[in-house]
Amino acid sequence: MRTFLILTVDGVTSGFIYAMVALALVMIWRATRVINYAQGAMAMFTTYVALFAIQHRVTYWLAFVIALGAGFVFGAGVERLLVRPIEGRAPLNMVILTLGLLILLEAVAPMLFGGDVKSFPAPFSRIDITAGATQLYVSPFDIFVIAAALLVMLLLLVFFQRTTIGLRMRAAAFRPEIARLLGIRVGRMLTLGWGLAAVLGALAGVLIAPGIFLYPNNMDEALVFGFTGAILGGLDSPVGAVTGAIVVGLVLSYVGGYLGSDLETVGGLVMLIAVLMVRPQGLFAFHRQRQA
Amino acid sequence: MRNPLLRHATVCVALAVVLVLLTYVFDAFTDYKIAGVAIFFIAAAGLTVLTGVNGQLSLGHGALMAIGAYTTSLLLKEQPQLPMILPLLAAIVSTGVAGAVIGVAAARLRGPYLAGATLALAVGLPQVAVHYGSVFGGNQGLPVPVPTPPSALGGDFPNERWLAWIAIAAALITLFLLANLVSGATGARLRAVADDEAAASLAGINVARIQVLAFVVSAACAGLAGSLFAYWVGLTAPSGFGLSVSLQLLSAIVIGGLGSLSGAVLGSFLVVMAPFTISDLAGNLNLSSDVANNLPLALYGVVLIVTMLAFPRGIQGALFSLWRLAKRNLRRPQAPTVSTTA
Amino acid sequence: MLEVDDLTVAYGGVVALNGVSLQVPEASITTVLGANGAGKTTLVRAISGLVAARGGSVRVDGTALTGMAPERIARLGVAHVPEGHGVISELSTEENLRLGCLWLGGANDRRAATEEAYELFPPLAARRRLPAANLSGGERQMLSIARALAARPRVLLLDEPSLGLAAVILAQIMQRLRELARSRNLAVLLIEQNARSALSVADEAVVLSLGSVVARDRAERLARDESLRHAYLGF
Repeated sequence: MRTFLILTVDGVTSGFIYAMVALALVMIWRATRVINYAQGAMAMFTTYVALFAIQHRVTYWLAFVIALGAGFVFGAGVERLLVRPIEGRAPLNMVILTLGLLILLEAVAPMLFGGDVKSFPAPFSRIDITAGATQLYVSPFDIFVIAAALLVMLLLLVFFQRTTIGLRMRAAAFRPEIARLLGIRVGRMLTLGWGLAAVLGALAGVLIAPGIFLYPNNMDEALVFGFTGAILGGLDSPVGAVTGAIVVGLVLSYVGGYLGSDLETVGGLVMLIAVLMVRPQGLFAFHRQRQA
Repeated sequence: MRNPLLRHATVCVALAVVLVLLTYVFDAFTDYKIAGVAIFFIAAAGLTVLTGVNGQLSLGHGALMAIGAYTTSLLLKEQPQLPMILPLLAAIVSTGVAGAVIGVAAARLRGPYLAGATLALAVGLPQVAVHYGSVFGGNQGLPVPVPTPPSALGGDFPNERWLAWIAIAAALITLFLLANLVSGATGARLRAVADDEAAASLAGINVARIQVLAFVVSAACAGLAGSLFAYWVGLTAPSGFGLSVSLQLLSAIVIGGLGSLSGAVLGSFLVVMAPFTISDLAGNLNLSSDVANNLPLALYGVVLIVTMLAFPRGIQGALFSLWRLAKRNLRRPQAPTVSTTA
Repeated sequence: MLEVDDLTVAYGGVVALNGVSLQVPEASITTVLGANGAGKTTLVRAISGLVAARGGSVRVDGTALTGMAPERIARLGVAHVPEGHGVISELSTEENLRLGCLWLGGANDRRAATEEAYELFPPLAARRRLPAANLSGGERQMLSIARALAARPRVLLLDEPSLGLAAVILAQIMQRLRELARSRNLAVLLIEQNARSALSVADEAVVLSLGSVVARDRAERLARDESLRHAYLGF
C-alpha cells in the first residue's frame, strides 16, 4: 500500500508535467497541423535561461517568469521565422524542420551553458510532508507542480472559451479561410498559439528540472511521454491529451515501481500500441471528418 | 538501356568495381568510413521505400536496426564460429518478421499517430535489452568479433578493407533489389498508396497489404544494416540504437532528396562523413570540448532546417534545378534570365 | 456601393475571369448567374481578396480594395458567405455569431448585433449553445447569413446560398434577404446556379459564361428572355 501511494503521487506529478507538454503539442497541432518535435528542446533551452538568471542572482520567481517569457518569444519566433515559410508544404517537411530544430538546440545548449548535468532549484521542499506521525508521501513541491499545472490549464480554458481573442484563435485553427473572411489575422493567431504553447513547455521544463536535473536532452523523455499522452487521448482533444498524459505518468510509475525502472518506456510503448490498435485516433477522437 | 533490370545491374557492377578499387587507394581508416556509409545507406534505402515512396513516416528505424544487431550478436554469442552470411541472413529474417508485425499495426495508423507509435518504439525497445541484461548484456552490450578476411587474400589484408567489401556488397545488392522493386509494378502501387489511399483502393490496390509490404522490406533492410553495424562497431549496446540513429536515417533521406535511392546514397554519405570532417576541423580550431563535441550536431541541425527552408527536395532537387538553370543559360546565352517565381 | 471594374483573374495560365465589370448599388440585389465553371465563385473570391486579381479593380464606396488581404477587406465592410455556408461547425451558434461582430465598437453593440440575429432568424435562438455541427442545413445557412449581417457590412457577397436547401426554406431566406437589403442599405451580390429563385429576388442580373459577362439586365426582364434562359440558365 505504501509503495502504491508513493508510485501514485509520483505518477500523477509527472503526469501533470507530461500533460503540459501534451497540451502544448495539441495546441500547435490543432492550429498548424504540425507536431513540434522541438517542444521539449525549446523547454530545455528556456530552463537553461532561467538557471542562467538564477546564477546571476536573480530570485527564483523572477527567473521562473523569465523562463515563461522567453518561452513565449521563442515559440512565436519559431513560428514566424521557421514554420511560416514552409506552411502548406508536405507534412514531412515540418517533421524534419522541427527535428532539425531539436537537434540544433540540444547541440547549442551545451555550447552556451556547458554540457554537464546541473541541478536546478525547487521553490519548495521536495521532502514529503508529515502530519503528526503519518507520512503523506507528497512533498510541498509535488503540490506546487500539480497546482501550477491545474492553474495554467484553468487559465487556458478560460482564455480559449471566454475571451474574444481565444475565440478568434479557435476560429483560425478550425477554419483558417473562414476566419480570414471574418477579418481575423490568422497568421497572428498562429504566432500567438505557438508562443502560448511554448510557455506551457517552458513551465513543464522548469517544473521537471529539480527532479531530473538539467542537461541538454533532459526533456527528451518528457516530449516522448507527452506525445504518447496526446496520442492516447487523441491529438485534437485538449481534455484527451491531459487525461492521456496523466494516465501515461501513472502507468510509467507503476511499471517502473513494480516491474523495474528499465521497463518504464517499454510499458509506455505497450500501452500506446494497445490503445492505438483499438482506437487508431486515440481515446477522445471525434470521428467526424474535419472540413479543410 | 531499355531493360531496367539490366541497367540497374550494370550500374551496381560498375559501382562495385569503382568502390573496391577505392578501398585499395585509401587507408584503413577511410575504408572503415566507407563501410560505415555503405551500412548506413542500407538502412536509409529501406527507409526511402517506406517513407519516401510509400509515405509512411517512421521515427523508429533505429529500433529495427537494433533487432538486427541483437539477432546477430546473440547468434555469435552461442556460435562464435558461424560464417558471417548466416548471422546476416538471420538478422534480415528476424527484423523482417518484426517489420511485418509492426507493419500490420502501422497500417491502421496515420500521420502523427504513426510517427508517435514508431517514436515510442525507438525509445522503448532498447530498454528491453537493458532490463533483460542476462540475455542481452544490459548497458554494456554484447561484443561482436571483428570479421577477419579469408586467408586467400593474403596475410596483411586489412580487416577494415574486408569489412568495407562486405558492406559494399550488401549495399549494392540492396540497391539492386530495391531499385527493381521501386521501378516496377510494386513501386507504382507503393506510390499510388502514398499519393491517395482512397484512389489506390478504388483502383483495386489492397492498401493495407502494400503498407505492410513496405514495412517488411524496409525492416529487412534495417535488420541487415543493424547486423553489419554490430560488426562495424564491434559491440551491440542499447546506446548505439538511440533515437538519434532513427533521426539520422530520416535526415539522410530528406537531405539527399526524399523518395529516391540516389538521394539516400547522397544523404548517407553526408550524414556519416560530415561528423568526422567537422570533428577534425573543430579539433584544429582549438575549441573547448563542449563546443567541439557539439559542433557537428549543431551544423547538422542547421543543415536540416536550411534544407527544409530552401531546398525542400534535398540536395538532389537543388542540383537538378541548378543543372536545368545551367542548361538553359548555355543553350540561349543571349536570352535574358527568366524569373521563374510562381 | 460595390463597383467591379474590368476584373481579371487567372490560375496559372488559365483565365478564370476575363475583364468582368459590374455595379451593385446600395439597397439592391444583383445576382450573378451562370453554369458551373463560369467564374462565379472566382468573382466573389477575388472581391473578398481570397484570390489575387491579375488586373482591374474592386471598390467599395469609392475605396479601392485591390491587393488587400481578405481580413482587411472584411473589416472594411465586405461580408462574404462562402459556398457551403462556411459555418465553423466546431463552435456553437452563439460563438459563430460572435465571430461575425468582432469588429463592432463596444460590447453593447456586439450583444445587440447577436440579439438582432436571433430576431432575424428565430430558429437560431433555440440553438444558441449547440455546436453548429448539430444544426440542420437550413439553420446553418441562416447562421452563416446572420453571422455575415452581424458585422453590419456595406456589401454582402453570397455564394450559392441555395445549395442543399429545401425550396420552402430557400424562399423564406430569399424573402428575408430582400427586406434586409432595403432596410440596411446593403449592396448584395448573389451568386446562384438556381437562376429561377435568384431572379425572383434580384434587382439586376448578370450572366457569366467562361469568365466573361455575356448578358446583363433588370432581373425581371432577363427572366423573360427565353433564348438567354435556354442558352445559359437552363430553365
